[in-house]
Amino acid sequence: MGTHPSDMNIDIFFCQQIDPAQDLNRRVIEKELGPRIKFFPLPCSGRIEPLHFLRALESGADLVFLVTCPEKACRYQQGNTRARKRIHYAQDLIQEIGIDPERLVLVMARPPLPQAIDRLTRELLTRIPVKGHSLLRRL
Amino acid sequence: MITAERKPLEEIIAMISPYRKILVVGCGSCVAECAAGGERETGLLSSALRMEARMTSRELETREMTLERQCVYEFIDQLTGLVDQYEAVLSLACGAGVQAVAEVFPQIPILPALNTTFLGQTKEPGLWLENCRGCGHCRVHLFGDICPITRCAKQLFNGPCGGSKNGQCEVDPEIPCAWQLIVDRLEKSGRLSQLETVYPPADWSRQQGTGPRKIIREDQRN
Repeated sequence: MGTHPSDMNIDIFFCQQIDPAQDLNRRVIEKELGPRIKFFPLPCSGRIEPLHFLRALESGADLVFLVTCPEKACRYQQGNTRARKRIHYAQDLIQEIGIDPERLVLVMARPPLPQAIDRLTRELLTRIPVKGHSLLRRL
Repeated sequence: MITAERKPLEEIIAMISPYRKILVVGCGSCVAECAAGGERETGLLSSALRMEARMTSRELETREMTLERQCVYEFIDQLTGLVDQYEAVLSLACGAGVQAVAEVFPQIPILPALNTTFLGQTKEPGLWLENCRGCGHCRVHLFGDICPITRCAKQLFNGPCGGSKNGQCEVDPEIPCAWQLIVDRLEKSGRLSQLETVYPPADWSRQQGTGPRKIIREDQRN
């Protein structure tokens, strides 16, 4: 009883430094996959807050990806490290209220950069770690 | 600053369970600094509570608001007119703030979302350390500005207990021995002779045993 990725609402927060042409590249995939995929470019993944994840889930996302720069490649030094800690914090929080923490997924882009966000997204959609819609969406 | 930590969600959910309409109020002061009760944490908690309510088919409506401080009437007054629209207020303030709000709005339950912990400093982002017990008789200048009441596990006034190991406390090896720190600092600043004075025990009546304390400044009053 899997849920096809195209049925899922997927939010993708990603570091803009991964793809300087992200504005153009994400529109390609947005056109292809429709409104179920939402992109949220960040100036650095370290700018993410646990609140962003919760608001995404509350708004109906079944899955939320956070894509960061590779290890030691953050131009702001600590951004991707900070991002990792914040997603873990959010995962612990949602687990407390009964939401599967695997609905928040941390992805560290593989070097070398840049990587086109549309290609990266297609790759992410082949490895969805959870089945089914979020409990919130089913209600 | 006063530090606090959010209560376990389970406890908060149990507290709010009788209510369907809740005003969630944060505080922009100490608890914002220790990432427990500021605007961000207020939004985070509200979102979590709304999602939990939806998943358990419970009706819950929340509104979020953050006051500059919840312990000063002029800021609490901003809730006037708003509070009556809700069945309860979930306060992300320290215990002082929760009670101050309750005094202004005694007709509505004010629920504490945080556990107030200690007076401390922000040592670095994400790390807060206790360094004051509010004893009411500050003499830190005699001890190289390191409080032996707060930072010595045995609250010794006249030298180390002798049980420290490698500069770490015998009671809790994860914390530095306060007396090691005191001696090091006084030695570095050429004030070690201060320790030749024998200091009498603290006057605990300034802190305990007389009920809630107060400070009055007539020149500051209306």
